[in-house]
Amino acid sequence: MFVSAPHRRLGRDLDPAALAALAAVAERTRPIAASQTRLLPVLPPLAGLLPDRALRRGTTLTVGRPGDDGSLSIALALVAGASGAGSWCALVGHPGLGAVAAVDLGIDLDRLAVLPRPGVAWAEATAAVLEGVDLVVLCPPFPPRPAMARRLVARARERRAVLIVVPGRAGWPEPPDLRLQVDDVAWEGVDAGEGHLRQRRMTVTVAGRRSAARPTRHHLWLPAADGTVAGAGAGGH
Amino acid sequence: MGRSPVPEQGGTDVDRLLVVHCPELLLEDEGGAMLRTFAEVIAAVETYCPWVTAVRPGICSLPSRGPARYFGGEGALVELVQAAACGVSPSEVGVADGLFAAVLAARRGLIVPAGGTPGFLAPLPVSILGQRDLAGLLARLGIRTLGEFAALSDADVIGRFGADGTHAHRVASGRSGEQADLRQPRTARLLAGEPAEDLPVVAEPGFWGGVSDADARAARCLSAAQDLLGPDGVVTVRLQGGRGPVERARFVTWTTGGQPQGTASSAGAGAPWPGQIPAPAPAVVHPDPVRADLADGRGEPVRVSSRGLLTAAPDRLSVEGGPWEPLSGWAGPWPADERWWSRSRRRGARLQAVTPRCAHLLVAERGRWWVEATYG
Repeated sequence: MFVSAPHRRLGRDLDPAALAALAAVAERTRPIAASQTRLLPVLPPLAGLLPDRALRRGTTLTVGRPGDDGSLSIALALVAGASGAGSWCALVGHPGLGAVAAVDLGIDLDRLAVLPRPGVAWAEATAAVLEGVDLVVLCPPFPPRPAMARRLVARARERRAVLIVVPGRAGWPEPPDLRLQVDDVAWEGVDAGEGHLRQRRMTVTVAGRRSAARPTRHHLWLPAADGTVAGAGAGGH
Repeated sequence: MGRSPVPEQGGTDVDRLLVVHCPELLLEDEGGAMLRTFAEVIAAVETYCPWVTAVRPGICSLPSRGPARYFGGEGALVELVQAAACGVSPSEVGVADGLFAAVLAARRGLIVPAGGTPGFLAPLPVSILGQRDLAGLLARLGIRTLGEFAALSDADVIGRFGADGTHAHRVASGRSGEQADLRQPRTARLLAGEPAEDLPVVAEPGFWGGVSDADARAARCLSAAQDLLGPDGVVTVRLQGGRGPVERARFVTWTTGGQPQGTASSAGAGAPWPGQIPAPAPAVVHPDPVRADLADGRGEPVRVSSRGLLTAAPDRLSVEGGPWEPLSGWAGPWPADERWWSRSRRRGARLQAVTPRCAHLLVAERGRWWVEATYG
């Protein structure tokens, strides 16, 4: 249980061979769950978007598009898998969460903290919640200074949390591990006065570092007709 | 998947149970004061039934069939027991088939009808089982609720999840009411005044929630955020009934004590509500009113008549005095007569409006249009 936390402190005193042996033992004796904790699960339709088919702890993602439409939905959908599996999540800087949409995506409201209007203390508040929450969705209310953004990215890495930034108009000066862009958004279900909004088709472009250096494009229904997320195949374009 | 929800013959352990839940007595405190108060609760409940079992600190159960018959039904029995228990410490009482469901029913103050337990459990998130590893595996398969888990076949479950998963599957489908760590045998022993050192305090409470390592870590960091932002700076969300997305969410200040698991997403959240906007729900709800103007093809304002109908077909939309945007589609109106930010209750109407950039939910109130939510 307390294998992970003191690792770094031990590292200063032990020689590399001993440390490697220790890591091997820890890996062998670790319960199945802990060996998976480097990754946090996502809903199956989103697995194909991510290089690890899951969210890697300690990483930062940005989700955005110029018009902003769909970005928050993507961010909420990304945390829904881990939330449903019992992870704590926080939403910082967004005063208007659509709670019904969040629940329909699979987010457990019992483990969701919302910091709706953190004001000028937004970066400090984000740093504070990164200490103890697995996933943080951040909508910066003001343009972040580069040093501030770097500090939050470092904090997420150090605390093995996942930081999902929805930059909106404020922007985000740090290159993320993964960048998701939403475009080609189209609603189905309404005509002139007929029907109701049924589902939204969107294209998500994912680019990043390492194995995700080459951008990939994915088609999603988000929300799908039942409020969840579903793959929309490659058709249409 | 063709499986009947009726318990199988033999091998079931689903008794009809009444559970008393005392939220202030859920810990085994050092001096034993909570345990002594809990003993008084049990003594008070024993007035109505001698077979009261201490499940763990703050929770006791009794078989409800016999006493319910004697006292004139489960409703009457619940009222009597609740009054007796509340005379000692604040208590919630519920009835369901099996201990697992009965505890959840007690936390909500519900009587789940006989045979209705699978349906009661179905919409609850799998995390409520308190088994993180299992919940993680299920999430990767896209299984979010106990009902979806219960719908898997027994053969699939044993193949993928092994013996523990099989047991959890029986609990999720209402075929078993016993879940690991649900009972703390220490409690009964301590209440009887016997030594219980050989029996462990369950360290990782899983199902009981609120005190696992992860929850404690989250609680510490959220308190720190409250120190920075003030108590109202950190909130949680509860769902309730209502027609519009604003009415359906209630934001409450986050507290360290926390609410019992599973309460947030229950309580009428999924209940049909007359005039409710059809799913899917908007991801962004505007907490402050955002002004909107709606015009027809000739540029004349579109209004809502006294009969709740539109005066003309809308053609273009302007938000907060911004540029006119053409509508690529619209739907509605739906009735809306609850107050929103205005104090007066008036008749209004809701409309879905799609522009090239996004889709909005508009509401007509106080003689004009507002953007209530955006499908962001």
